[in-house]
Amino acid sequence: MSGCDAVVIGAGHNGLIAAAYLARAGLRVVVVERGEAAGGCAATEELWPGYRVDTGAHSLTGVDRRIMTDLGLGEAGPGDAGLEILSPAPCVVSPQPDGGTLLLGTDPARTADRIRPFSARDAARWPDFVAAMSRASRALGVLYRTLPPRLAGASRGDLWELLRLGTKMNRVGRRDALELMRLIPMTVEELLYEWFESEALKGALAADGVRGICQGPLASGTGYMFLHHMVGAGGVVRRRRQVRGGMGALGAALQHVAVAAGAEVRLGHQVASIRVEDGRATGISLAGGGEIMASRIVSSADPGRTLLGLVDPGELAPEFVRALENVKYRGVVAKVHLALGEPLRLRSGGDAAQAAVLAGAAITVAPSIHYIERAYDDAKYGRPSERPVLDAVLTTALDPSLAPEGRHVLSVAAQYAPFQLDDGSWDDARREALGDAVVGTLAEHIPNLEGAILHRHVLTPADLADRFALAEGNIHHGEMTLDQVFFGRPVAGWARYRTPIDGLYLCGAGTHPGGGLNGRPGAAAAARILRDGKRRQD
Amino acid sequence: MSATNAYDAIIVGGGHNGLINAAYLARAGLRTVVLERRHLVGGAAVTEEIFPGFKYSVASYVVSLLRPEIIRDLQLARHGLEILPLESTVTPLPNGDYLGRWADHDQTRRDLYRHSPKDAEAYDDFATLMYRLAWAVKPLLGVVPPDPLSPGLRDLKTLLMLGRHARGLDEQQFHALFKLGTMSAADYLDEWFESDPLKATMSASGIIGTFLGPRSPGTAYVLLHHYMGEIDGVFRAWGFARGGNGMVSESIASSARSHGAEIRTGATVERVLTANGRATGVVLEDGEELTAKTVVSGVDPKRTFLGLLDPEELPEDLVEAIRRFRIRGSSGKVNLSLSEAPEFSCLPGGGPHLRGAFSISPSMDYLERAYDDAKYGGFSRRPYMDIVIPSMIDPGMAPPGRHVMSIFVQYAAFDIEGGWDDAKREAFGDAVVDTLSEYVPNLRDSILHRQVLTPLDMQEQLGLTEGNIFHGELTPQQLFFFRPSPAWADYRTPVRGFYQCGSGTHPGGGVCGASGRLAALEILRDLRRRPRGRP
Repeated sequence: MSGCDAVVIGAGHNGLIAAAYLARAGLRVVVVERGEAAGGCAATEELWPGYRVDTGAHSLTGVDRRIMTDLGLGEAGPGDAGLEILSPAPCVVSPQPDGGTLLLGTDPARTADRIRPFSARDAARWPDFVAAMSRASRALGVLYRTLPPRLAGASRGDLWELLRLGTKMNRVGRRDALELMRLIPMTVEELLYEWFESEALKGALAADGVRGICQGPLASGTGYMFLHHMVGAGGVVRRRRQVRGGMGALGAALQHVAVAAGAEVRLGHQVASIRVEDGRATGISLAGGGEIMASRIVSSADPGRTLLGLVDPGELAPEFVRALENVKYRGVVAKVHLALGEPLRLRSGGDAAQAAVLAGAAITVAPSIHYIERAYDDAKYGRPSERPVLDAVLTTALDPSLAPEGRHVLSVAAQYAPFQLDDGSWDDARREALGDAVVGTLAEHIPNLEGAILHRHVLTPADLADRFALAEGNIHHGEMTLDQVFFGRPVAGWARYRTPIDGLYLCGAGTHPGGGLNGRPGAAAAARILRDGKRRQD
Repeated sequence: MSATNAYDAIIVGGGHNGLINAAYLARAGLRTVVLERRHLVGGAAVTEEIFPGFKYSVASYVVSLLRPEIIRDLQLARHGLEILPLESTVTPLPNGDYLGRWADHDQTRRDLYRHSPKDAEAYDDFATLMYRLAWAVKPLLGVVPPDPLSPGLRDLKTLLMLGRHARGLDEQQFHALFKLGTMSAADYLDEWFESDPLKATMSASGIIGTFLGPRSPGTAYVLLHHYMGEIDGVFRAWGFARGGNGMVSESIASSARSHGAEIRTGATVERVLTANGRATGVVLEDGEELTAKTVVSGVDPKRTFLGLLDPEELPEDLVEAIRRFRIRGSSGKVNLSLSEAPEFSCLPGGGPHLRGAFSISPSMDYLERAYDDAKYGGFSRRPYMDIVIPSMIDPGMAPPGRHVMSIFVQYAAFDIEGGWDDAKREAFGDAVVDTLSEYVPNLRDSILHRQVLTPLDMQEQLGLTEGNIFHGELTPQQLFFFRPSPAWADYRTPVRGFYQCGSGTHPGGGVCGASGRLAALEILRDLRRRPRGRP
């Protein structure tokens, strides 16, 4: 038996960030991770000799800038921790069924030129759209850096917090704050309809609005999801970033930072349960035997796994258990990884599109809002999309070190593949059928794809659930629908990182402000813990 | 110009909100005129004898949420409004069974128990919670939305009042309210019930008039509406008006006239006249001019701001906001004359159930598929239907022994692929009759007449833009101070003396009348008149 001040469960990015902040504040911190590498969904695995593949996330919009600064993770070049974020100027290549190809990039004026062949009106509106979305996402960012206020049974302190939030929003601009309020409940279709007419453009943008949720672009809240991806993207719509050396390098860098701050990271240890005495967390038991005692347990695992899996249900009120059981996960994302013998050649789009892909842009297959909605229709009734929405990244374009010379890695996130199938569960045959559907859909736009494939690897939502400990394979630790964000994340009344068990905290993507490798839940949970600690000393 | 054409107030559009507005203004002593394009008043709440002897509530067909203070203030009962009970909802099922919810609580419980003992237990708890939440949000219906951009003292008072009222909720209830406001009806009901027909039928109330399926977030909060009507303390706030829904309009018109209002039918307003940013009157299609310092529009926001006014007279951002205001129609209406009483195979023969409503919503997937058919620009091949048989409740609606049936149908897209035409209208009518015949075997052979209204027909005949029955979709971003646009949600417009009072303003939707009343109170406030100016 050993003791420390805080045990962090899970060495995903949020767990490591929380650990780093706590350790820097002088706490003795132990991070316990069941896998053999840190990083969680920021994972790079050598699936085939010489091919290092991002098996979880293959893009990030960006770890919150303040966190990067706080922890000394230089954004511009490799910092002390060796983290280098690559940010290509071309972001999206969206091939169309009729042969056209839409390109989106970081420069609004140049992107407007690319949009012009699809619609002169849309091209003219693009810079204003980017500006409007940046303003809205800046206002959203304020909410993201704020502890969700308690609404029910608010005390004087809570009203004070609300007032302060009001002042902060006022500083952003009342008009922008009101506009954000209007945009949040919208469907991404409604949001885009206000600006654009080109189906190609609307499809490519709407793909961001449905990411990771089991809803189509005609569902309320997908407008919010679109804005979520804009927070921290530096005012770029559909920004693409990846990490040199693979996403696993992000995990390694964060591990480095946490260890440098004094935390201990124990890999290959599975937590069996959280010990609770008199309503207080006192430590954890490990699956292989052994315990670590600590007065603060900080879990970056999803809320269900933490509170329904690791805590004796007798310790929790029935209403709370019921609320946790009602959390919607509904994973819909699958991953397909391909080792390629030669670079991709697009069917259309000419040199510009080809150059964009080779410069690191993502290939998006979402040619219209209705295309996405039809892909969702399949999932709604428990079937994988026949023609899925795809986000494919040639990770070797920006970082050739990820594959043997002349070879390439294509990482594809495919939606919708529902975790819960209406006719049974995921098996080998279904996994391969999914892989075929993804490759087949891509091959329509990339004639040399099928011939170039050397290896193929498919992760269904069930596989993602096992590999990354994601409930129902949900990449965000809980669907980011409007009922499950802000006050409602993970459940209404417990959106402030604490749990009904004293000393047990949540710090994963299942807490405010949610998933997407931004690191905010980890940092906010750590701040909360440190504040609680101060109060206790008082 | 003749002096007789000079008024204190002109109301454009004789729908129920316009009439209510006129009645309140006339009651306060204003010389008021209502101008209605059609040959009868009522807008979407009309009773018409389309075929001799058969009276149809052509569009709107039940009284829902009509504000009790309006019934009281305007003495509508004295002016002919009689609301008859509509006490049951039966959902026929494809297997020949049914699910019934009745005025008799014990009977409902027995019926639910047959489908799921668990649901029968949960049903009462659910109702208790809904009543409580409906109570908490009900004051919203009675307040003028505050201005979110530059709130004044009065706006802050309003917010404080609403906040204080909501503080009566405990934490669990508060969280339930948050979830209701954000979830889909399907997900919300899944947390309570297991019986598919029950969940489908309850969620159907959440999709009426929206272009959303029951699994789309944002459909849960309408579950409250059903309970809201019953807590007003007014006997049967939900029901059927004797003589059809036109009688709601007729009684309001009668009340308005009794206070001195003039009502002119066959008078189409071409546009509102303005001078120096002030409304001065209106000009009719035939060139006739009427003057008034107060002009009130009961038509939808698109027509109000982009039709009656020259957009040049309005701030650019308001014009933009009105242009993007979503107003997609999603429903149609079929009215039938029947040679005999319909016989439902799930409940053969006559009985009290025929005096209630029928909901064709056998399962959640059924509704969702109906939505799927329409969302790409079509109509549901097997639609959701809400059916009443008015002649069963009020025998005066049809000749002796004959019947009329009112069928609300969803979904039908306004911008259907290729556009609506006669063939598509008939195909739509056929889909309704075919689907319903599966539950009512004698239906097809007893049809004497059939009237089919597509969303396009609703636009052309009733003046509802895009056929939207609520003058604008009731989505969160188009409610309260967003309805129809922030800063102009208090019934005023940038043109002084020109007001809005239609369903496209807060709270909007249904034959509730609050918009018409609240607008009148604001106008009187501006004119510094007490609502009861006349002794």
